[in-house]
Amino acid sequence: MTGRNGWARFVGFKMLRLVSLLVGVSVLSFILMQFSPVDPIEAYIGGDMIRVSAEQRSLIEERWGLNESPTERLLTWGQALIQGDLGTSMIYRQPVADIIQERFMNSVALMAVAWLLSGIFGFALGVVAAMRRDSKLDRLICWYCYTLASTPVFWIALLLLMVFGVWLGWLPVGLGVPAGMSADQVTWGDRAIHMILPALTLSLTGVASIALHTRQKLTDVLESDYILFARARGEHGFQLFRRHGFRHVVLPAITLQFASFSELFGGAVLAEQVFSYPGLGQATVQAGLRGDAPLLLGLVMCSAIFVFTGNMVADILYRMIDPRMKEELMS
Amino acid sequence: MGRFSWRWGKRKVRTGLGILLVCSIGLSGCAQGTAPATSSAENGQPGTTSTKDELVLAVGTEPEGGFDPTTGWGQYGSPLFQSTLLKRDAKLQLVNDLATTYSVSEDGLTWTVTLRDDVKFSDGEPLTAEDVKFTFETAAKSGSVIDLTNMADVQAPDDRTVVFTLKSPQSTFISLLTTLGIVPEHAYGADYAEHPVGSGPYKLVQWDKGQQAIVEANEEYYGNKSAFHKLTFLYLDEDAAYAAAQAGTVDIAAIPAAFSKQQVNGMTLEAVKTVDNRGIMFPMQPAGAKSGDGLPAGNDVTSDLAIRQAVNVVIDRKALVEGVLEGYGRPAYSVSDDLPWSNAEAVFTDANLEEAKRILASGGWVDADGDGIVEKNGVKAEFNLLYFAGDLTRQSLALAAADMVAPAGIKINVEGKSREETKKLAYSNAVLFGWGSHDPLETYNLYSSTHKGEGYYNVGLYSNPVVDSWMDKALQATSEEDALPFWQKAEWDGTTGFSYQGDAPWAWLVNIDHLYLVTNGLNIGEQQIHPHGHGWPVTTNLEEWSWDNSTK
Repeated sequence: MTGRNGWARFVGFKMLRLVSLLVGVSVLSFILMQFSPVDPIEAYIGGDMIRVSAEQRSLIEERWGLNESPTERLLTWGQALIQGDLGTSMIYRQPVADIIQERFMNSVALMAVAWLLSGIFGFALGVVAAMRRDSKLDRLICWYCYTLASTPVFWIALLLLMVFGVWLGWLPVGLGVPAGMSADQVTWGDRAIHMILPALTLSLTGVASIALHTRQKLTDVLESDYILFARARGEHGFQLFRRHGFRHVVLPAITLQFASFSELFGGAVLAEQVFSYPGLGQATVQAGLRGDAPLLLGLVMCSAIFVFTGNMVADILYRMIDPRMKEELMS
Repeated sequence: MGRFSWRWGKRKVRTGLGILLVCSIGLSGCAQGTAPATSSAENGQPGTTSTKDELVLAVGTEPEGGFDPTTGWGQYGSPLFQSTLLKRDAKLQLVNDLATTYSVSEDGLTWTVTLRDDVKFSDGEPLTAEDVKFTFETAAKSGSVIDLTNMADVQAPDDRTVVFTLKSPQSTFISLLTTLGIVPEHAYGADYAEHPVGSGPYKLVQWDKGQQAIVEANEEYYGNKSAFHKLTFLYLDEDAAYAAAQAGTVDIAAIPAAFSKQQVNGMTLEAVKTVDNRGIMFPMQPAGAKSGDGLPAGNDVTSDLAIRQAVNVVIDRKALVEGVLEGYGRPAYSVSDDLPWSNAEAVFTDANLEEAKRILASGGWVDADGDGIVEKNGVKAEFNLLYFAGDLTRQSLALAAADMVAPAGIKINVEGKSREETKKLAYSNAVLFGWGSHDPLETYNLYSSTHKGEGYYNVGLYSNPVVDSWMDKALQATSEEDALPFWQKAEWDGTTGFSYQGDAPWAWLVNIDHLYLVTNGLNIGEQQIHPHGHGWPVTTNLEEWSWDNSTK
C-alpha cells in the first residue's frame, strides 16, 4: 500500500516539476529570442529582400503577428499551447507539431543507436581499464577517452565523412535515404547504412565520459576492504568483478548514461548538420538562425521533455536496482 | 541582399568546417587513385552516358516553405513545377511562356495578357485565365515575399484573357509576370506547397524534407521537353555538396570559390557570369542628418563627391577579381552590369592613381601636414568601411579596397560588424553591400529618394531630382523596352546620374561568378547572367541541358 502511494507521490512530484520546467524553459527561450539580433522578418524575407516594399513588410508582420508586443505574443502562444496547438512554423509553413513529429522519428532512431553503443562500449572500456589499471591497455583506453572528450563532435563527423564517405567511398556522405530513390523502394537496410556515420559520430564522443567515470568508480571499489577480503579468498578477474564490482559501478553508469541525454541531443544537432541528416537538430538550427519563434519554442520544449525523461528514467532505475534507495523512498 | 539572411549565422561554423574540409580534401588528392570506381567516373565516359536520363543535383538550399509560388517559390530560377506568364531567355530578353501576347494601356495602369489555350496542368485539367486571377489574388493576400501591393485588381473576362489594374504605373510589374508561377484554382489547398500541381516542365514526385526532392518530367507540358526524365535535388550545405561531388554522388554541385582550386575527378568547373555584386555604399549627407528611423546619418568625408570619385577611380577591380575571387568574377561598375537597363557609358578606366589625386586636389583635398592623408577644412579623409562579420569574401574585398585607396591619401578603417549593428551604423558609415537582380526595380529602390533610409534601400540617403525624374519616367513607361533608355539616363544622362561620372553614391567593386562542378559530358546550355543568390538560377534553362558526347 505504502509502496503504491510512494510511487504515486514520486510520479506526481516529477510531473509538477516537468510542468514548471517547461514553463520556465519556454519563457526563458522566448525572452532570449527577443534579445537575439535576428530580425525574424528579415530572416523570413531572406533572398527576396529587394522585392519587398515597406508596405509589404508590414503585411508580413501582421500575417505572423510580429507587430504585437512580445508579452502579447507569448500569451497568445501560451493560450494556443494549452489547447494543444503549438502554432505554425514561419519557415516551414506547417504546424510545428507535424514538423517535430516527422523530425523526431528520424532523430530518435539515430540517438537510440548512438546511445546504446556508447553506453555498452563506454561501460565495457571503463571496466576493462579499471580491472587492468596502469597496464598498457588502461593507458591506451584513457588516452583514447581524453582525446575524444576534448574533440568537437563536428570535427569527428567531418573526419568520418572524409574517410568513409569520400576516400573509401564505403558509406554515403549524407542524407537519411539514398539520393533519388522513391520512398517505397527505400529499405530498412538503406536507412541503416545512412545512419551509420552520424550514429558512429555520436557514440564515439559519448563513450569517453561513461568510460572514464566507470573506470574511476570501479577503481574506488577495487581499493575497498571487502574487495581486499574477496581477493584474500582467492577471487580474481571476471569473477571478482561480477560478484563484487558490477552492482557498484552499473548504477552510476546508468545514471550517467540517462543523464547524458542532453549531450546526446546537443551532439545530434552538430552531427545532423554535417551529414545533412533530417532530424530535430537540423530543424533546431534553422529555427534559431531564422528567428522562427513557434518552431524553436516547440523544439525547446521537446528537448526539455526528452532530457527530463532521461533523468527521470535514471531516477526510477536507481530505485529499482538499488533496494536501499527504494526503502528510502517508501519510508 | 541575396540569400544572406538564412545563412549568415551559420557562417562562422561553416567557414570553419569549410576550411577543414578543404584541407582534408586537398590531402585526398593522393588517395583518389585507389578509391573505388564511382558513378561520376562512369558518367565521364561517352557512350554509357548518352542514355542516362536522370540527374542528381546539389545546387541550392531547400525551399523549406515548399513549392508554392504564391508564397515565394520560384523567385530565383524557374518555378519548375509551374509555368509563368512570361520568362527571360539566355540574353534576359522577354519571351512568352503561358502568354501569347500582352499589352499595357497608355496610362500604364492596365495590363492585358492573352494566354495560350493548349495548356494543361499535370493533373490533366486545362489552365485558364481564372487560374491566373486566382494565383495573383492568393499571392497578394499571402503576406509573403511576393510584393503585389501596387496591384489594385485582377480580372479574367474570358478563359484566355487576364486584366491587371495597377494603382500606379510600374513598368517593372513585368518581373512579377516572369517569376510568379501559376497555380491551379481547383487543386489548390492547404497542403499545396507539399503537393504542387502545375503546368511546368516537371512534377514533384517526392519530397524528403531536409534531404531531397525527386521530380519527373510532366507529360502534359506544352513546351520543349527536357532530355532528362528524372531529377533529384539534394539539399546539402556547400561543404557537404562538395564532399558529395568528390564521392561521385552528384552530377552537378554548386560550390564556393574557396573550393575552386581543387580538382574533382570526372567533373569540370563551370563559372557562370552574374550580377551578384559587391560594392561600397557611401553616406551622401554631411554628418548630423537623421535616417527615417531617427538614427544618426551622414558622414563629412564620404558626402564629398571628390572622395567618392577618387575611391571609385583608384580601385583596381581586376586585381580584386584575381586576388579575392581567384579569378572567378568580373569588375563591377554599376549595380546592373551587362543587364539591358545598365548604361555602357558608365563604365570607366579604374586603377588610376593619378586621376584620383587630380580629383582630390581639384576638390580641395590636400595633404598639408604630410601624414599621407589628405585634408580639407581641417577634416581628414578618413572613414569606416563596415562589412558583415563572418563573410570572408566581403572582408577580403574591404581590406583590399582600403589598401588600394591609401596611396591616394584616403584612409579607410575596415570593421566587421553584425548585421544588426551594421543596420544601425549604415546611415553614417560606408558599408560593403551586395545586390544584383533581374528586376530594374532594384535600381529604383537603391537610388530613388522615395526609398531614402527605408530598411536596406538607399541607406546612403542619396537624392537627385534629375535621377528621380528619369526613374519615374522609366516606371511609367508602358513596356520594358521603352523604360530602358530612362533607366540608362538615370545612371548617366551626360550631365548627371548615379554613375561614377555623376554623383557616385556607390563604388561598385566586383560581380562574383557562380561556380558549379559539372559531370564531364553534361552540357548545361547557355546560362543567363545569374542574379544575387547561388544555386537555383542554374535550373532556369533545364530544357537545354543535354549529354554532350563529343567531350571527354
